[in-house]
Amino acid sequence: MRDQFSLDGKRALVIGASNAIGRAIAVALAEAGADVAVATTTPSKGEVTAANSCANEIWALDRKGFAQAIEAADEADVSALIERTVGELGGIEVLVNAHDLPFAKPAPETDFAEWRRVIDANLGGPFLASKAVGQRMMAHDHPGGSVINVASVLGERGLANGAAYCSAQAGVLNLTRALALEWARDGVRVNAIGAGWTEGMAMVGDDESRAKLERYLPYRRLARPDEIAGIAVYLASDVSAYLTGQVVWVEGGALSHV
Amino acid sequence: MSVLDKLSLSGKVAVVTGAGRGLGRAMALALADAGADLVLTARTQSQLEETADLVRAGGRTALWVSCDITDSNSVHRMIESAISEYGHIDILVNNAGGATAGMGNTLTDIADEEWRVGIDTNLTGAMFCSRAAIPHMIEQGGGKIINVTSGFGFRAARDNFIYTSAKAGLVNFTHALAMTYAPDIQSNLIAPGLFPHGNPAMSEFWRGGKYTPMGRLGEDEELGPLVVLLASGLTSYMNGQAIVLDGGGLAGGHAPTGFAPVVPLPEAS
Repeated sequence: MRDQFSLDGKRALVIGASNAIGRAIAVALAEAGADVAVATTTPSKGEVTAANSCANEIWALDRKGFAQAIEAADEADVSALIERTVGELGGIEVLVNAHDLPFAKPAPETDFAEWRRVIDANLGGPFLASKAVGQRMMAHDHPGGSVINVASVLGERGLANGAAYCSAQAGVLNLTRALALEWARDGVRVNAIGAGWTEGMAMVGDDESRAKLERYLPYRRLARPDEIAGIAVYLASDVSAYLTGQVVWVEGGALSHV
Repeated sequence: MSVLDKLSLSGKVAVVTGAGRGLGRAMALALADAGADLVLTARTQSQLEETADLVRAGGRTALWVSCDITDSNSVHRMIESAISEYGHIDILVNNAGGATAGMGNTLTDIADEEWRVGIDTNLTGAMFCSRAAIPHMIEQGGGKIINVTSGFGFRAARDNFIYTSAKAGLVNFTHALAMTYAPDIQSNLIAPGLFPHGNPAMSEFWRGGKYTPMGRLGEDEELGPLVVLLASGLTSYMNGQAIVLDGGGLAGGHAPTGFAPVVPLPEAS
């Protein structure tokens, strides 16, 4: 069974690898045998450091990879990243869109520019990367591939002060379904991981709001990033060849609640 | 520990209902391949013996027990046999179910007994098995329950009342299990799309999957890795959820997939 799940010989790009979930996914894919390029979409010093340290972990596993900072909603930036991935890794079979720009603000105080930035970063970014990688994966001499979008339970449930973020996350769920149908016969699978409340997520907020959350969650605790990442290995691997257009929720039962 | 090490089910005992053939057999063999020992149940003994032989040929142990999951006494005896053989149950796969008499009848043609048998086979049996196994799982500190529903658990079809109602019931039964027994017991669902289970008549009925977005039907063996995933440590935070393995069917509906018009945006003025 282990051999069937193995990602030996696969080349992956993880965008959003400076956040906790993206980073855990990048490391899990490398542990399962893939070469993994990582990118951060937030070019602050701390985020670049996080992406670099993720690349270090990938190298420590004896896999190929590199780290790069991009502007998620800049088509030229995204194209250059994918060119570099194909150039340095030799190809691409797995794309993980783990973009995450957290944002919470009452709607009447939200500028349209803020709305656009949140939608662009969380939904536009995955669209642009999927568009560029999908074209390559559909080429007749390509073995096909797997696109994995990371969305949030806030794409399925609303949250006060979350109009822009919740809308973007819901957009990712249906971007997943629409692309899956469009590319189903061209060997490109598109699925999403619906992440629950996870350690390191900015949307969890301060200690007080975290404590409230933990009382409500069936597990009485948040997810660890590695508990989200396991599903990415399944979705990236050929064992899930018949799976497309699906959102696999990893949320400890939070969505089972009335 | 590498992420792939978490797939190992070594030392675990899995109960699989409906394990005599098709999907149940494929899942049992995949669980055995990942290292689990098996308790195999179904009504027909000869098929169970065959599955047990296949499990043993792969180096794992197997106990087969004839069981009618719609009879709570029979279920109780089956779970007790499993406990007396192995001492624990770590994984319960509620797979038994399927077509029953009257399944395609119009509403007014459904006999009371047909409705009861359909619901018993596809919903109540999973409740009986869960009810019998969960106290043992709690006593030993945890477990995994995997219920097999269907695309019909989420969407309906014309003149499909009994099966859709039972399979949708199983979905929300799983949500309730997830809420109640988290985090010690995780309960999730597998929803296979169009899987003909090696039956040529079903392949023909579904036109070989040409109306499925991916353009093909599923193979039972493709469900093996999925059940291992849900039984394994890779899914320690997954609870109350379904993985729908259907080649894209539910993402858009099983409509002819050629329907894809191109609509341009209006010119900016």
